[in-house]
Amino acid sequence: MRVTILDYGAGNLHSLAKALDDGTSAVRVDADPIGALNTDVLVLPGVGAFGHAASRLAPARAAIRDAIQEGLPCVGICLGMQLLFSESDEGDGAGLDVIDGRVTRLRARRVPHIGWAMIDESSDSAFTRAPLDVAYYANGFACRPARPDVVRAWSVHENDRFPAMVRAGSAVGVQFHPEKSSRAGVAFLRALVRDAGA
Amino acid sequence: MLTRLIVCLDMRDGRVVKGVQFEGLRDVGDPVELAARYEIEGADEVVFLDISASVEGRATLLGTVRRAADVLFVPLTVGGGVRSVDDVAQVLRAGADKVSINTAAIARPALITECAERFGSQCVVASIDARKAGDRWRVWTHGGSVRTELDAIEWARECVARGAGEILLTSIDRDGARRGYDLALTRAVVDHVSVPVIASGGAGSAEHVRDAVLEGGADAVLVAGILHDGLTTVRELKDVLVRAHIPVRAVA
Repeated sequence: MRVTILDYGAGNLHSLAKALDDGTSAVRVDADPIGALNTDVLVLPGVGAFGHAASRLAPARAAIRDAIQEGLPCVGICLGMQLLFSESDEGDGAGLDVIDGRVTRLRARRVPHIGWAMIDESSDSAFTRAPLDVAYYANGFACRPARPDVVRAWSVHENDRFPAMVRAGSAVGVQFHPEKSSRAGVAFLRALVRDAGA
Repeated sequence: MLTRLIVCLDMRDGRVVKGVQFEGLRDVGDPVELAARYEIEGADEVVFLDISASVEGRATLLGTVRRAADVLFVPLTVGGGVRSVDDVAQVLRAGADKVSINTAAIARPALITECAERFGSQCVVASIDARKAGDRWRVWTHGGSVRTELDAIEWARECVARGAGEILLTSIDRDGARRGYDLALTRAVVDHVSVPVIASGGAGSAEHVRDAVLEGGADAVLVAGILHDGLTTVRELKDVLVRAHIPVRAVA
């Protein structure tokens, strides 16, 4: 199975690539958004700021969106999850808009939300395959889907309850960083990607 | 939010060293081996603080970060000698999740803003070394050797206004002294900023770590020497936190 991490030019992709490498998948990093679509699973990584990433994606936005809507499995992590949505208060530019909704700032006293938090009400089969009840987060913003039925798990920061995981068609997003959530997180990520590409 | 226990490895030329009040360094091991061991023991994050002065030391650091990223699956923060957006990009590329910026931000505060815009606030840690001065705290730089005119609380506020996602707050008075964290300093900064604060400098026992959370209000605590010297373990520290009803990530 070919797994491709789309590089939008910010941050650490090294440990994500390492976490995805389960010994059977061919994991590559591609900075060309069109070239990256030639894959079995597309991974949108979770580092950077929305505006910066959206502007890097802009020339290929329609192509990526079409590919996902035609069934290309896509796993978005943190910012990558937020990019699946329509737009964000964090920065200018359009998201991929494969999931209807906005990304807004967390409603809490301490923002960003940085650290480990519990994952609640998980209903996705990925959690059955690779249990994960606590994960590492680094987010100042959270996704607010228009349709609540896309949410497959929740977390809470102070009093703001926000989606920990969403799934819609071939797109899945997690707000936490499974690749930074120790062994259980890595196992979860591999299960998620394996299922997506199956 | 679970209280984080962060293990700090002070590094020079690719080796972990430990000093008292920033001086008198001793070699305590290979950073990658130690980091991996601490993850297994239940550390929630790892910090590499590079105190190499040389260009060679810098290159060694990037190699160490790359090796660490191969085996470490908890967040890694790298600090020390980061002077420009390009330096930050290099360290993140090598496999760090966050970068801590200290002296360079004081020389040019816009560096924090530039890094936050490019990489996101969540990977910008403002590192502040503070020393008591009367009833306030003053910011020191260059590993605690150069005094500035900045007030620690005011500077912490400015770092946050400029986009820092966390404050790593070190008491120079307490660093390595094992008499406990500077709780008043921690509390003062926690009360004046809207981002997580990591208390650092002075842990001598699990009770000190507990007090940094309960009395200091810290979101996370940084520990180094007491672990490297085998005086306690991550598990013991977390057990004491749990007994004090402080929620932490359970050690497997």
